[in-house]
Amino acid sequence: MIPHAPILTIVLPIFAAFLTPVVGIVAKRFGVERARDWFVVGVAILMFIIVASMVPAVWGGEVLVYKLGGWSPPWGIVLAVDGLNLLVALIIAGVVSLVAIYSVVYMERDSGLEKYYTLLMLVTAGSMGVTLTGDIFNLYVFFEIMSISSYALVAFRRNWDSVEAGVKYLVIGSLGTSLLLLSIVFLYGLIGSLNIADLAWKLVEIKATQPLPMIVPLMLALLVTGFGIKIAMVPLHAWLPDAYQAAPSAVSALLSGATTTVGIYAMLRVSYLLFGALAIGMMFIVLGLITMVAGGLMALVQRDLKRLLAYSCISQMGYILLGVGFGTTMGIQGGLFHLLNNAIYKVLLFMCAGAIVYRVGTSNLDELGGLGKNMPITATLFVVGALAISGVPPLNGFASKWTIYVAGMEAGQPICTAIAVVMSALTLAYFLKAINLMFLGQRPEHLREVKEAPPLMLFPMLMLAAFCVVFGILPGLGIDLVRPAQGAVMNQLGYIGSVMGAG
Amino acid sequence: MEFGPGIWGPIVATVVMLLGVAVAYLLLLASRKYITPKPSLEKLRTYACGEVLKPDEVHVDSEQFYSPIRRVFRPFYRYVQPRHTGILTTYLLWVVVGFIIILIAIMVALR
Repeated sequence: MIPHAPILTIVLPIFAAFLTPVVGIVAKRFGVERARDWFVVGVAILMFIIVASMVPAVWGGEVLVYKLGGWSPPWGIVLAVDGLNLLVALIIAGVVSLVAIYSVVYMERDSGLEKYYTLLMLVTAGSMGVTLTGDIFNLYVFFEIMSISSYALVAFRRNWDSVEAGVKYLVIGSLGTSLLLLSIVFLYGLIGSLNIADLAWKLVEIKATQPLPMIVPLMLALLVTGFGIKIAMVPLHAWLPDAYQAAPSAVSALLSGATTTVGIYAMLRVSYLLFGALAIGMMFIVLGLITMVAGGLMALVQRDLKRLLAYSCISQMGYILLGVGFGTTMGIQGGLFHLLNNAIYKVLLFMCAGAIVYRVGTSNLDELGGLGKNMPITATLFVVGALAISGVPPLNGFASKWTIYVAGMEAGQPICTAIAVVMSALTLAYFLKAINLMFLGQRPEHLREVKEAPPLMLFPMLMLAAFCVVFGILPGLGIDLVRPAQGAVMNQLGYIGSVMGAG
Repeated sequence: MEFGPGIWGPIVATVVMLLGVAVAYLLLLASRKYITPKPSLEKLRTYACGEVLKPDEVHVDSEQFYSPIRRVFRPFYRYVQPRHTGILTTYLLWVVVGFIIILIAIMVALR
């Protein structure tokens, strides 16, 4: 492991965020403006390497506890890395690296790119902070850093739609983070600690010795609602379609692949580890099904590709909630595998949408058609992503959905499983519509001269498509990746022991 | 390599699918030996009600693409879809309603 890897993962993007404008000024002076963009790409890749360096220790069963300032828990702030947050950190670092590469060309026509890259690095720092911290107030602070940077990124282009979407996201997101803060206040008032492991242990003690205080369900509800807004769980989803449609596609890809994953992580960490709340699995199943069905049916009637993808994103969150809601080993594995796969194909699909917007200037499905002739590589990659998200074998979406279906049958939930299968068919239906309207059929006159996306945009898309195929053909590889995470979700006492033992 | 319970073997399945694609492509090539497509400009034109339509005019309406499915889920599209108004105060109300539902569900589960 690289020394100080846990803290470096957070500090590196923070420093990069504030260095980016300086690098931009220097690069402009020497006439190499793209040096700033490549600086961010380099930082993102370095961050991925640092995160990856923690893999051998964590997958070996260790929980890495990094004490900030040498202060021991529960008094000092710690970063605690187990299988669950390492998986999420790998997803974030991977997505940010690919989005940064994609942005080099995709964002070249925009102005104010110093701000864009600074915000990109701040979202990354916030996401990594939420993921790796072992302190719940720290989690809240990093969650705010991630969220506020996301609001600004959504409104980055400063046109009417993006500002409106950014303000909506800001207001609803701020309400969510306020609920989180309120819950943390109640938690501190009840228990007198902010360390997650210490809180979990003291809650176990309280539950063992006395009736559950009435405030505990309220705290959990506040936390689940706060994180539920971030993952766009129905009926807390309303901000997402506007935000993903109005934001630059690179930002939509980042939000769908990284911040949503962080939201799921935080919800799992809080509900399963802090409250040991396998009992509320049924609530996740019901909310997951509602999210899956509502998202899918809304996606079916969209005229805009990015809006369709946004509703599809909501629908896929339903599958993840369903998997983890089953609460069984296979269910949690399936949910986490789907979380990983969702990050892969959703980022790929938003990048394909971005490639079309980059070349054509619109994502309105009614203004597209016959682009398969002009953009064959983008079309092929979109088809791979669409088939993967629809759960068509032999791609990765099939592997994770199938795991969830099997978990559902084993958990005695055949109706929930049947609904999930039907919604998978519906997913295929609306993606076939998108493929038909964009790439097939007659090509309108004004699209005759459209060219293929630039190679630097195609590169990250090709990598993601390759992952779709690899994790589909070798699903055992994906399951092996998520198994330590599933073990961490189910081993509440192991996490508590490792963190408190470090004191 | 087997994956999970059941008989799903992803590698075998992939090979079979690729073989299927190869066979289909060979059949396509073989069929072209007998009938060669010769698309002329006249054949490529779209006629409807005696009119020649431009490619832009024959585009399927994306919202009505699956109108039969819309009819199946009519209550959803009649009552839920129109509630997505874009009005912020409505969305904030949804958050409050969502919070109350989650609170009740948790209280019932942890009872």
